[in-house]
Amino acid sequence: MKVLLIIPAYNEEENILKTCNKIKEFSDELDFVVINDGSKDNTLKILEENNLNHINLINNLGIGGAVQTGYKYAYQNNYDIAIQFDGDGQHDVNYVPNICEPILNGQANIVIGTRYLDKKASKFQSTFMRRFGSKVISLFIKICTGKKITDPTSGFRAVDKKIIEEFARDYPTEYPEPESTACMLHKKYKVSEVPVSMNERQGGKSSIRFLKTADYMFKVCLTILIDSTRKH
Amino acid sequence: MSISLNVVLIIITLIYLFLVIRSIRKKNLQMSFSIFWLITGIMLILALLIPNLVENISSLLGFEVPANMVFCITIFVSFYLIFNLTVSLSKENKKNKELIQEISILKKRVEDVEKKLEDNK
Repeated sequence: MKVLLIIPAYNEEENILKTCNKIKEFSDELDFVVINDGSKDNTLKILEENNLNHINLINNLGIGGAVQTGYKYAYQNNYDIAIQFDGDGQHDVNYVPNICEPILNGQANIVIGTRYLDKKASKFQSTFMRRFGSKVISLFIKICTGKKITDPTSGFRAVDKKIIEEFARDYPTEYPEPESTACMLHKKYKVSEVPVSMNERQGGKSSIRFLKTADYMFKVCLTILIDSTRKH
Repeated sequence: MSISLNVVLIIITLIYLFLVIRSIRKKNLQMSFSIFWLITGIMLILALLIPNLVENISSLLGFEVPANMVFCITIFVSFYLIFNLTVSLSKENKKNKELIQEISILKKRVEDVEKKLEDNK
């Protein structure tokens, strides 16, 4: 069973080495690939100096394009499971076995690491607005696909071989997580959720966040709605 | 419309047509786009050369003022053109994204192979 962690990184010079070292400490057999999405800081230098497995995108693509590069790499190298994993220390590598389990049992094609399932397990529940946005998006997915996804925006996901192929071929660029989940539900793939704990992302909050979240929420809902009218 | 204004407009349109044809010959413009600009130029010339053409058509279609018809057509055609542009821009973006991804993966593979060769030396 070949498992690959896909770690998109944009200006992550402070966290990327820590994240990779934690993965190495956790297991030697776990492969990872860092996708450097045209970082303007020393991320690339750190990756090269420490000999970390990475792909350096020759231009900035944004999160969707960067993650898809990882899926293409996973597809070309014949991986069985690919896991999306943030480079900023938000995700905990100890949950990797949990998140792979439903795939290994054949119960799911996609497993989402969910913040909201177990309140005690997760110290970080994110802001009110984000939680609210998540609820609205998950209600929308429920209406359009009939399946409840508690944490549709979670960036901690594991997918099996079939989905790696699907994502390598086609992956949304602008609102990748919720849109791709809804799209795979339409295609009748099985999606399940596993509770994980996430650490708080570093960096300050701004008042623009509120509007950004609302804007994101609106566009995601619209995208999912349009997607559901498409033939699959 | 006074004769002198008509003449000036015809000259401007001819210059425009000349520019279009020149960029087609230089292959700056794809044929499918250039046809659109050529037809636009020819229609402008016709409207300027044939007296009362615009007036007659607009009254036939029920426009109160000929200018309204001209504006109406211009806006619709512009919208259509801009829509097509955003469509082709999206297509190009996708192709561009795929190129960046494939080249970056290839570069990584080349580097990996080079490293292996060096280690074997």
